[in-house]
Amino acid sequence: MGAYIVRRLLLMLVTLIGMSILIFVMLRLVPGNITDIIFDSAGFVNPAQKKKIERQLGLDQPIAVQYVNWIGGLMRGDLGYAYVSEKPAIEEIVPRIPVTAKLAALALIFSTLFGVPLGVLSAVRQNTWLDYVLRVFSLSGLSLPAFWLGLLILMACVHWFGWIPIYRSTPESPWQELALLCIPAAAVGFRSSALVMRLTRSSMLEVLRQDYIRTARAKGASETAVNYDHALRNAVLPVVTIIGIEAAFLIGGLIVTETVFNIPGVARFLVEAIRWRDYPIVQNLVMFIAIIVVFVNFAIDMMYAVLDPRIKYEE
Amino acid sequence: MAVIDHDAELAKAGANVHGWIGALLFFVRRYPLGAIGAVIMALFVATALFADQITTFDPFTTNARVSLARPGGEHVLGADFMGRDVFARIVYGARISLAVGVGATALGCIIGVTIGLMSGFFGGWFDLLVQRLMDIMQSLPLLVMALVMAASLGPSLSNTIIAIAIPLVPNVARIIRSNTLSLREMPFVEAARAIGMSETRIAVVHVLPNTLAPLIVLATAQLGSAILVESALAFLGLGVPEPHPSWGRMLSESAAEYVRTAPWLVIFPGVAISAVVFGTNLFGDALRDLLDPRQRI
Amino acid sequence: MRSKLAFAVALSIAAPGLVATPVLAQKQGGTLRVYHRDNLPSGSIHEEATISTVQPFMGVFNNLVLFDQQKPLNTPETIMPDLADSWAWDATKTKLTFKLHPGVKWHDGKPFTAKDVQCTWNKLTGKDPDDFRKNPRAIWWQNLKEVTVDGDLEATFVLNRPQPSFLSMFASGYTPVYPCHVSTKDMRTNPIGTGPFKFVELKRGDSVKFVRNPDYWKKGKPYLDGIDWKVIENRSTRVLAFVAGEFDMTFGTDITIPLLKDINAQAPQAVCELAPSYVSINLIINPKAAPFNDPTIRKAMALALDRKTFIDILSNGKDDISGVMLPPPEGVWGMPPEMLAALPGYSTDIEKSRAEARKIMEGLGYSESKVLKVKVATRNISVYRDPAVILIDQLKKVYIDGELEVVDTSIWHAKVTRGDYSVGLNLTGVSVDDPDVNLYENYSCNSERNLTQYCNKDVDALIDKQSQETDFDKRKKIVWEIERKLAEDLARPIINYQRLATCWQPQVKGFVLHRNSIYNNWRYEDVWLDK
Repeated sequence: MGAYIVRRLLLMLVTLIGMSILIFVMLRLVPGNITDIIFDSAGFVNPAQKKKIERQLGLDQPIAVQYVNWIGGLMRGDLGYAYVSEKPAIEEIVPRIPVTAKLAALALIFSTLFGVPLGVLSAVRQNTWLDYVLRVFSLSGLSLPAFWLGLLILMACVHWFGWIPIYRSTPESPWQELALLCIPAAAVGFRSSALVMRLTRSSMLEVLRQDYIRTARAKGASETAVNYDHALRNAVLPVVTIIGIEAAFLIGGLIVTETVFNIPGVARFLVEAIRWRDYPIVQNLVMFIAIIVVFVNFAIDMMYAVLDPRIKYEE
Repeated sequence: MAVIDHDAELAKAGANVHGWIGALLFFVRRYPLGAIGAVIMALFVATALFADQITTFDPFTTNARVSLARPGGEHVLGADFMGRDVFARIVYGARISLAVGVGATALGCIIGVTIGLMSGFFGGWFDLLVQRLMDIMQSLPLLVMALVMAASLGPSLSNTIIAIAIPLVPNVARIIRSNTLSLREMPFVEAARAIGMSETRIAVVHVLPNTLAPLIVLATAQLGSAILVESALAFLGLGVPEPHPSWGRMLSESAAEYVRTAPWLVIFPGVAISAVVFGTNLFGDALRDLLDPRQRI
Repeated sequence: MRSKLAFAVALSIAAPGLVATPVLAQKQGGTLRVYHRDNLPSGSIHEEATISTVQPFMGVFNNLVLFDQQKPLNTPETIMPDLADSWAWDATKTKLTFKLHPGVKWHDGKPFTAKDVQCTWNKLTGKDPDDFRKNPRAIWWQNLKEVTVDGDLEATFVLNRPQPSFLSMFASGYTPVYPCHVSTKDMRTNPIGTGPFKFVELKRGDSVKFVRNPDYWKKGKPYLDGIDWKVIENRSTRVLAFVAGEFDMTFGTDITIPLLKDINAQAPQAVCELAPSYVSINLIINPKAAPFNDPTIRKAMALALDRKTFIDILSNGKDDISGVMLPPPEGVWGMPPEMLAALPGYSTDIEKSRAEARKIMEGLGYSESKVLKVKVATRNISVYRDPAVILIDQLKKVYIDGELEVVDTSIWHAKVTRGDYSVGLNLTGVSVDDPDVNLYENYSCNSERNLTQYCNKDVDALIDKQSQETDFDKRKKIVWEIERKLAEDLARPIINYQRLATCWQPQVKGFVLHRNSIYNNWRYEDVWLDK
């Protein structure tokens, strides 16, 4: 087990280093750089002034040198300066994390609260009309473009309540913030709840077919006890997995939702930074996301090792 | 995972497997939702193929007189800001969505299958390298990856397809690899090896066909998500550029400008996207139950 | 209803002061909430050429002189004192002396002196070692030899030659006075001014905040406690938010004609004014790219343009067909419509023009079956793309098969400057309704913002000639002559000037929208909230 963990950690390091190289190179393939953007708002390009800015930002150095400078800084906890705002990148990134984290947490709660019970229900009542309705509902969650759903919600709110649930920079109370975050969280959570529900259903069905369930039934355990005590407990592991993976991957859905609901979080910031060719922001943000994803995956595997005695990690 | 004998599986499920009509009837009876999905998909493909016959309007011709015309009358689904017929743009848009959905899925699958097969079959340093590469690609959410790809490739139809296809590769490669690994140890592969068949030939002739079932299931699921990713990219200002009638962009652009003044511009393309993705999901679900009941998502 | 009135006002604008607010007792207090449409590049007005920066940041600064914030038209007669109490030309008309207001302080407490004026213009003319990172309006000051100071309260601008409209450039929102003691970098991130509002913070992609300057040198002003700008990039979302009452004001010129109808229906209490934005939609043709080096092809393209259709689609017919200068009634220098129609390519008989164009194309060997294929480049934003799609549709009529090439907005100028395009569609904004500003910026040989690098020595000579002409009518004649030459040369065919609306809630008082520039009326020192 110990050796396995060490090996996993080493592989994670390799992955992250690979990611850093990939994102660094890909960003520099994006046509245009920050100097083009800086001049865009001036409506012209002055080649001499442009060169000067490139020199100031170190963009004239060989790409390998630029990479080493970035990684070197990262090791020292120095994320560099954002190109556009000319402030330390860390000051731009960190304040945007809490709101995204809150939104993600709410969305996860939403998807679990809806996904798991409905999934169980759907499995227990397999091939009944309830099962069909629930499955169609969950599939529609996977089929609606996220921004479309968000816009329909915004339109409905203004139409019926004369109120728009977009995020204000300083909500007056935690309750108000919660109220504001609830709607976008539901919009994101709808999709992940559909995923959770489908997975819960299929793992439940699989477990319900197992021998020990038949044994439990044969021994005269009540149907409820079989379904919710024996089966659900065994189906929970894959469900926890998907929730974990969703947590890490939620940021994809958040990009669109933060844009529609105008929430000043990291996900939307990433898109903006790409548009502005703000390398220090994009690089560091992407690494931040990658680190989260890699660690969540690691945590899930570890949890499996602890919870599921059938899994052995021997080389 | 065992090799799947489709006929046997069908027979086990109680199907009358004599002839394809029988199989079809069985499918409809056993998976009514899947059948609905299949019909939606067939309609979608037919729309794309016969766009010229379905509408007489040109999706590119602008007309000042009908700017933002309401649905009904000459323009069944109304006209957009530039006076282009919305119905025609949705019909021709099916081509774009089909190109993006099928193109990205096919490209992703071809690359993924090749990598997965080679990785599983040859193992060694190649496998190690490929696995790390897949790790790296999977350490970012699909949309984030597609976003960075789309930005670095620049806007065009083919670049959008590539940008969506690349992030799909790791999923496919992983599944094909794990299937290949288990198939490699199967008696019939051993037998082929014993009679002196080359490794490449074994991979293509014996292993590849047996990975088809999970591949088809995965590809159907990816088709829908490719279309959705395109619409999200379009919403974020990337994706298939004008003047191509991309549903995603039609939807997001009008959503940005005319959501209240001309809601039909937002509703119809949105319905088109949702319906097609819903159809592929329904069909994909049934297909998964039929072909690969163990696969989860 | 109210906006119909606004239309009528816009169309029949007669005397300045028509929409001036009646005299009311202004109320003190309240924070003005405005939405912003995009990310601001920086807070340094001198380094930017976009309303995105001018609109929020103009209130931080003062100019030497400023166009009257309470009059809808900018003319030389509406130039008012700001930091300069008075100004005077010397006998040679080459020395302009400003007498500065005493006792003015920068937001950081340091005194404002004539040195600051000198510093600002030294930076603008590249004489200061800490010069601007970019200097988009350098051409405005090409005639400025030097700035001299006499004591703390007098600054003199020495010109190379007389330039009667020199003063107009000082009156634009683009011409604030910067402090000597703050670096150009700090002016981008944390600007210091003498104006009615102090900059608080800029949260990128989220918000910009300003608070009342309690020590403002104009006693009793400003009335607002502060101004909060919230960035909302999605236009639907921000208009919905305005309708829902989240904002007191829209971003300037953000409301298009379809949206205006929507606001009128959903928020009938809102005051909306439709006015020219002085932003033109224009066709750029690269004269160096074959086959467009042949002037006859360029002429055929110009003949294919149906400007009426453009404005019908883009604005329900509200935009103005125009030449280079903003057309009347708002524009002071534009040609009357009948004269405009006589310019090459402006005929109202489109079919005849197009037949002529096809004849030209046939002469060059093109026909229905052998079309000229060309890529039409434009920025990947709808205000650029929509007209480009119409352009392509119209070029089809003269055997030109255009394919739209959308260019990422970040590299648009870089691409055009490199000459890496053959045909393009562009938008150009003009900040002061004055021929010197428009013509020097966009058509003179040595201007950096002359996108097509059009260069005609005769035109340059005429531009210089009109610039020195003191008689208004004589100057206008020369300007029209230039217009005709530019149209003949197809320098950068102007398709139309846009009209866009700005809306505010009825509680916003004391705000007057300028009608021949969108860049000069955002000082907000007279604005108050009637709550």
